[in-house]
Amino acid sequence: MSSLNNLLLPAVLFFALGFIARIIKSDLRFPPDLAKVLSIYLLMAIGLHGGYELARADLMMALSSIMWALILGFSLPIAGYLGLLLTGKVNPMDAAAISAHYGSVSAGTFLTAVAYLDNISVEYETYPLIMLAVMESPAIIVGLILAVKARHTLAAKEGSSSNSKTAAVADDDDENSSGFGALLREAFTNGSVVVLTGSMIIGAISAPSGMEKLEPFTEEIFMGVLCLFLFDMGMVAARRIGDFRQVGPVLALFGVVMPLFGGVVGAYVGAMALGFGVGGTTLVAVLGASASYIAVPPAMRLAVPEANPSFYLTLSLGITFPFNVVVGIPLYHTLAQAIVV
Amino acid sequence: MVTLFPEKLLNIITIDSLEDKLVDSFKKYGVSGYTIVRARGVGSSGMHADMSGFDANILVKVILPEDRVQNLLDSLERKIRKGYHLTVFVYDVQVMRPEKFNIPWNE
Repeated sequence: MSSLNNLLLPAVLFFALGFIARIIKSDLRFPPDLAKVLSIYLLMAIGLHGGYELARADLMMALSSIMWALILGFSLPIAGYLGLLLTGKVNPMDAAAISAHYGSVSAGTFLTAVAYLDNISVEYETYPLIMLAVMESPAIIVGLILAVKARHTLAAKEGSSSNSKTAAVADDDDENSSGFGALLREAFTNGSVVVLTGSMIIGAISAPSGMEKLEPFTEEIFMGVLCLFLFDMGMVAARRIGDFRQVGPVLALFGVVMPLFGGVVGAYVGAMALGFGVGGTTLVAVLGASASYIAVPPAMRLAVPEANPSFYLTLSLGITFPFNVVVGIPLYHTLAQAIVV
Repeated sequence: MVTLFPEKLLNIITIDSLEDKLVDSFKKYGVSGYTIVRARGVGSSGMHADMSGFDANILVKVILPEDRVQNLLDSLERKIRKGYHLTVFVYDVQVMRPEKFNIPWNE
């Protein structure tokens, strides 16, 4: 059975080990920046590998993947935002910051899905990798626009009742750093995007002989590093789940429903719009389903300080990431098998 | 006997992603230098465990003459009103070479 296969993947088992280590209060600690270092490696390796293959792929298909990645990246956070507001339990600022996480993607989840497909010998297209790079940023922008809109609405409400202008404090220190252009620049120059896109370009233009020499780095140790990464992430997730009570049942439910929604939308985009096989469709579903925890949280902290960080961090790290790694990926794979003709 | 001179030591505890904005303010208000260390702890904005670098805090230390403190505090106040979480406290300190703290730094 495919879901059992996923649970017995070494990487997923290490995720569980990290989770358990934290629950039993083991003194195991990783260096603070380990997960970031490892994710730089993972993005480099997958970027080099993917860029090499994409250089030999179909340009029209690549462009169409990029277009659909943009559509997903811009529309999923809006859907999430409206969904959160409909619950009536979430204020607009938190809704904007949370939904930005769900429009963006998690490379860790994507790579676990790649490991899952490799493990059960399912072939997959390389195009979802470009989509991974493209989808990091648009949701950040949508999140910011939603937050600006929410801020104006709140300011107007307050203004009509008490003439207070606290929501629109002029900060003269910010003239160079918070214009919309600066935010756009931040969204597109964030570390993950630079590492992944840069590695893809290097992979695409490098001579094949040079790429062969890199194989021990890009291929052979890859799964081991992924295990280490998920081991660390298991501990992070277990710590975050302690904040579960603070988040409340409505948001916790959102952390499971939103990935399912994004996964179904992604699967249909992969299968119908892009015509991918089962492997590629699974990966697009994972892109739709996953929530960012590296690129988006610092961007939201900076741009939407009014939102509560423990909401979005607990949702993306403590609920959605474990859900996708353990339950979601096999589910999206089953869905892909059902809809790919 | 070494003579000591009075200065103010401004401390700020906040999230690491605010570092660039703070440094911009320091430049603008003629600060002579600053020191930043990584910090973790618990406070009104929840726990910052700095686990895997996902919720790191910083502790920023700035020594400056008393007449420059107020402008900088005003700018921090504006940040707090915008919703950023900053813990700000000021010490009276004594330094050996006051001229070090008078000249804005150059990059």
